[in-house]
Amino acid sequence: MSTELIRNFSIIAHIDHGKSTLADRIMEVTGLVSNREAKAQLLDDMDIERERGITIKASAVTMNYEHAGKTYMLNLIDTPGHVDFHYEVSRALTACEGALLVVDATQGVQAQTVANAYLATESGAELIGVINKVDLPSAQPEITAEEIEHVLGIKKQDCFRISAKTGMGVRELLDAVVTLLPPPPDDGDKPTAALVFDCICDDYRGVICYVRVFAGSLSVKQKIRFMGVARTHLITELGKFTPKMSPVDRLSAGEVGYVIANVRQLSDVTIGDTITDDSKPAEKPLPGYVPPMQMVFSDFYPGNNTDYPNLRLAFEKLALNDASFSFIPQNSPALGFGFRCGFLGLLHMEIVQERLERENNIDVVQTAPTVSYEVLTTDGRTLKIDSPADLPDVTQIEELREPFVRLEVITGTDSIGGIMKLAESRRCKLLKTDYLSQNRVILEYKAPLAEIVYDFYDLLKGVSHGYATMDYEFTGFEVGDLVKINILVNKIQVDALSLIVHRSVAENRGRKMLVRLRKAIPRHQFEIPLQVAIGGKIIARESIKPFRKDVTAKLYGGDVTRKMKVLKRQREGKKRMKNIGSVQIPQEAFMSILDSSD
Amino acid sequence: MGNQKFDCESCPSIKRTAGLYVHIPFCEAKCRYCGFYSEPIKNHAPQRLVSAIIRELGQYDHIETFQTVYIGGGSPSCLPAEQLLRLIREITSHWPKPEEFTIEVNPGQVNKGIFSQLRTAGVTRISIGAQSFNPDELTFLGRRHSVGDTGRAVEMARQAGFENIGLDLIFAIPHSTLSSWKYSLCSAIDLGVQHISAYALTYEEGTPLQKSVEAGEVAPVDEETDRQMYETTIDELEKAGFKQYEISNFAKPGFECKHNLNYWANKPYIGVGPAAGAYWNGKRTLNISDIKKYIEAIEQGKTVIAESETPDNTQIACETAVLNLRRRCGIILDEFEKQTGFDAMKLFAEPIGRYQNLGLIEATDGRLFLTRDALPIADSVLCDFSTT
Ligand SMILES: Nc1nc2c(ncn2[C@@H]2O[C@H](COP(=O)(O)OP(=O)(O)O)[C@@H](O)[C@H]2O)c(=O)[nH]1
Ligand code: SF4
Ligand SMILES: [Mg+2]
Repeated sequence: MSTELIRNFSIIAHIDHGKSTLADRIMEVTGLVSNREAKAQLLDDMDIERERGITIKASAVTMNYEHAGKTYMLNLIDTPGHVDFHYEVSRALTACEGALLVVDATQGVQAQTVANAYLATESGAELIGVINKVDLPSAQPEITAEEIEHVLGIKKQDCFRISAKTGMGVRELLDAVVTLLPPPPDDGDKPTAALVFDCICDDYRGVICYVRVFAGSLSVKQKIRFMGVARTHLITELGKFTPKMSPVDRLSAGEVGYVIANVRQLSDVTIGDTITDDSKPAEKPLPGYVPPMQMVFSDFYPGNNTDYPNLRLAFEKLALNDASFSFIPQNSPALGFGFRCGFLGLLHMEIVQERLERENNIDVVQTAPTVSYEVLTTDGRTLKIDSPADLPDVTQIEELREPFVRLEVITGTDSIGGIMKLAESRRCKLLKTDYLSQNRVILEYKAPLAEIVYDFYDLLKGVSHGYATMDYEFTGFEVGDLVKINILVNKIQVDALSLIVHRSVAENRGRKMLVRLRKAIPRHQFEIPLQVAIGGKIIARESIKPFRKDVTAKLYGGDVTRKMKVLKRQREGKKRMKNIGSVQIPQEAFMSILDSSD
Repeated sequence: MGNQKFDCESCPSIKRTAGLYVHIPFCEAKCRYCGFYSEPIKNHAPQRLVSAIIRELGQYDHIETFQTVYIGGGSPSCLPAEQLLRLIREITSHWPKPEEFTIEVNPGQVNKGIFSQLRTAGVTRISIGAQSFNPDELTFLGRRHSVGDTGRAVEMARQAGFENIGLDLIFAIPHSTLSSWKYSLCSAIDLGVQHISAYALTYEEGTPLQKSVEAGEVAPVDEETDRQMYETTIDELEKAGFKQYEISNFAKPGFECKHNLNYWANKPYIGVGPAAGAYWNGKRTLNISDIKKYIEAIEQGKTVIAESETPDNTQIACETAVLNLRRRCGIILDEFEKQTGFDAMKLFAEPIGRYQNLGLIEATDGRLFLTRDALPIADSVLCDFSTT
């Protein structure tokens, strides 16, 4: 089969600009699903994706489209639109020849529009500019087109104006997909090479790999080899997503579909690996992806120590469907046994947390998320530090390095002042200012990741009245004048409450941490001293006064059931807390130390 | 604080079996802080309710004895005398001479005559809702009696031959002070009663008082003062020869309220009347909290039980522990094991260890009890005994 009639493309967009809606409309226009079915945004698979209205994982769907008397096979790969999931976007784009860059005409170009466009360009995908939501009265398609031309270099007259909601312009857009985007190269005769661009794990069928065949073909019963991990398997099922899984006998060069081959666990495959024929292998694997980079780490401890094995099981289950999440056993002197977990970013962390809670009944205490640091020790070793608790003693540190990113903020000109001030307070260095249009601007910064990963986005939204958007990309580690703040609760140093910060703000932050902790740790039956130490020196103290009265005055016959309920609730409240010595520290306290506001 | 030695023989916590509670859900008018189920009597026909209660009592004919009877409310004393006596005679005709027969009275609703009639009818113990000896505090609470009424009620009860008289007091009333509370306490002591219950004012959900607090119109007494008032209560009453036998209850030796001790022993009791609770045959039940619906149900021969729960063995053990620990004598370990099948020291090993270290719990002489330091913060300890 010639690849001439195949088109592989993605839709990329800033969040909420209409990617999922457009995907639904396209499926409807191609007759894949009825209007009614499309309502639920079929490509958003997981509950959490639907509830939060964000796409987390890429997914693929195959459609037929008639154009000029020919039937084309369209493979659409949906991509996430959040900064945490860039690597997913890159993966999806590698499997495509082209992408529709969707921009909301009422919002204009936003940070993830730019970031995704860069990713597309890097992967060599052809871009079609799409201006969406033109049905809205507040749409400004002309200005949006100018912005696209200005920053992304797509000619404004070449942009398509559509409404993914009403379907207006969608057919013309599909015609353009067929006429403007290139077909996949016709490499059917070469040795088989198929790229694994995503994987999911199904309880019954094991691992399902999403693949794009670049050369040769795949067929059922074929003996294949995963080149990276050097394992061989027999293909038991091949198919396409329509959007249900529909088995086929063969996937030819240029096609997108799925492979099931008796792979049990996600850890047995690497996303980005190349599948080839075991007897006639390709010479070299396809250019793979850069592995996802975990930017944020946090320790999870079971509220009750006996839940440790259950927590492990829960994480194992989560990791089955999320290869970018990691967990490593930890043993903290204060908190006992738990796990250090790595995430792509804060949103990713929240999603994992939410799934952990939803799918399991384990009380967990989680420490404040941290970025990774690099330490050059006095004896010349380089260590990666994913928790302030692991930082060696100052005397053994030659250099302490922190991660930096290139940060892009897009905003209206009226909030530039506020944003500049905010960025400065977070040690960000302005690299470049570029006007998108008359009153919108891109600010490019060099920023320490630790300063922008937690609350920066919320603050940015605050100073810009919700208009600014941001995106960032890791650039490297650099030496910083950093110190560790230690907290002592009831005279015991609590690792999980330590924080690494820039020296210039350390004292101030330390004091704030005490105030936060004083509020977050409930009063106990005794007084609790709190102390903050920097470099071994106590710089401030506070104390949590004990409660003095907590007793039910009357408890007689008829009150027993009700009172027992109240007492149980009081006890439940203690459960999501971690015992440190005789002090119970609630979940909020661990998180509260990150709050640097006044 | 020193540890109290317990004299097991004189302590009536052991051996109690079944109690009978009768709830009279009438009051002259509703007090501002009150969270009990009661309604103004003027809207109802008392004889109809009393008849209904008597019919409900009929269901328990087969029970041979009640060691204790307690008529509470509401205000039983606001019933017309003939109705109240009819009820009492009905009870004593079935279950003559219980070891203790208590009735709650409101100081403003009694006279010499009624006390003698009660005594003749078989009542042995009077519990008087004094609440405070400071007139402005009584007014604040919305009580309709005066300080003088309380003194007169005690005197009349004594003259009628009652030798077991208790007073209920409330502390930590907004605007009250440590010295105004001491004054109330001393006045109660001076009246020569045998029993004093001292309750910190609680702000019950939905009461007018609670709403005023929520609206910021009334400020509760601060925690430290509340604590001092409670400590003072224990000190003053012990000095005056009362023994604290439960968190809020104090008695001259031998005058502990047996009926209430039965509750804290987690032993069975029957409850009749609207909103009355019972613990019988392993079931905790609560009657309909609505006078009209209660009467209708009785008259139509339907059940008056609105809520029912059968605690499992562990739950029973937890309930028993929580209730026992309210007593100064605490959990009597071998009693507990006989009653629940559990070894309390094992079942609650974790909180026991933790609270022993904090000096809030002690285990000696086969008992496990809260220390004096734990009493003001008992709930924070007891909640760890509410589940295992
Ligand atoms: N009026 C209008 N609303 C749209 C259009 N396209 C998408 N939306 C709405 O914009 C919101 C975000 O769309 P969605 O497809 O979930 O965005 P995604 O985050 O890029 O997948 C939803 O409420 C859609 O209904 C459009 O063309 N016109
Ligand atoms: S406090 Fe007593 S008298 Fe006042 S309303 Fe409540 S039950 Fe009736
Ligand atoms: Mg979406």
